[in-house]
Amino acid sequence: MAESLIEHALTSGVYLLEVALLVLLFLGGRWRRLFSVFLYLLLFFAADALGRTYVLYRFGVNSTTYGYFYWLTDALLALAAFLLVCAFFRRACSKEEKMWRFLRLVLVSVFILVVGISLLTLSRNYTHLWTYGSMFIVEFGQNLYFTCLVLNTLLYVLLQQNESADEELGLLVCGIGIQFAGPAASLALYHLTGPNLRGPFAALTKFVLPACTLAMLLVWLYAIARAPRPVRVAARGGKIPVLAEVTASSEVSAG
Amino acid sequence: MFLAALILILSTALFFFYFQATCQKILRRQFDREYFQAIVNANRLEFPSVRKALEEFDEPVDYPRLRMMLKCDFLALTYLLKNAANLQQRYSGEERLLMIYFRFVFLSMLTRHLLRLREKSAILKLTVILQYFANVLGQRVNTIRLADLSASDYLLKL
Repeated sequence: MAESLIEHALTSGVYLLEVALLVLLFLGGRWRRLFSVFLYLLLFFAADALGRTYVLYRFGVNSTTYGYFYWLTDALLALAAFLLVCAFFRRACSKEEKMWRFLRLVLVSVFILVVGISLLTLSRNYTHLWTYGSMFIVEFGQNLYFTCLVLNTLLYVLLQQNESADEELGLLVCGIGIQFAGPAASLALYHLTGPNLRGPFAALTKFVLPACTLAMLLVWLYAIARAPRPVRVAARGGKIPVLAEVTASSEVSAG
Repeated sequence: MFLAALILILSTALFFFYFQATCQKILRRQFDREYFQAIVNANRLEFPSVRKALEEFDEPVDYPRLRMMLKCDFLALTYLLKNAANLQQRYSGEERLLMIYFRFVFLSMLTRHLLRLREKSAILKLTVILQYFANVLGQRVNTIRLADLSASDYLLKL
């Protein structure tokens, strides 16, 4: 009873925050600046709040259809999050075109590799994707989340190395890090202990996924609504304004 | 099995790392002035003296007393955050998150002390969280105090 209540509260919280963030981005006109985040949230809302809820009510929680739908959309969302991290890489390298050219090549190669391996393994194991005792989908999800987590951590290291003043991006990266780390750990725990898991660990693996999504959305809400944004001070055409030149030269001559 | 165990360990470590990084980013928020000083003076809080003692004099500290001082400051500040100049009488999301973080760092300080590792960095982190709480409270009190004043009242009081 208590477990069911907690699960419902967490799921409802996730849906509410998804809507709140989408509304905030749309009404504030921020969706243009944070287009990748907006697109990801839209996909998340469509798959999680609309698609899964519909399949759940239509076929029931213990049906194979729901199991298939849940895990396939989970893989799709993880791949979408992978692309989102790539978009964050672009933003982090906005001032370093040379680095971005190199990173773009690496990210595209890694993405093609991940999609290729995912499609190959999913198509080979499609018949026993969601059967009792089958650990395939758990192992698949654990590996996919962990790959995204490693990529996100590399981005975090890059931000630290560049001493980025973009607090909003930093918080967005931290949020998605929580979203990847929690499920990767819980799926690995489930993989190690097996489907007959009982007691507090079973509850933990059950709540970790929605709790981490909720945490990510809360951090994003804070990042978008509260964190100070970087101010761009750019001269048109890359030239220094005349006033600045005069001031600089007069300061030099005075010094 | 080995890979799953490795992923479990690394992902758990990274989960706590990102949790800490998020809290540190919130704590980096700049206030337009040092509001915490007035709150510290009015409530006789002790965390600034703890930080000063640790930063300026690298001497062994009276650990049980220091732990008690930080705990009392935390209780006083969290009570005030909820009840002073707060019409909704509840904590905000970031305050709740930082309260969890405080407890987490406090626990790490206890563990470090028991293991005889250097607990100085954990104590300094705790003082930073307390300073943030005092700054939020000071800013809130200041906003409410000024909200009652008209423009002419404000100028006359300067």
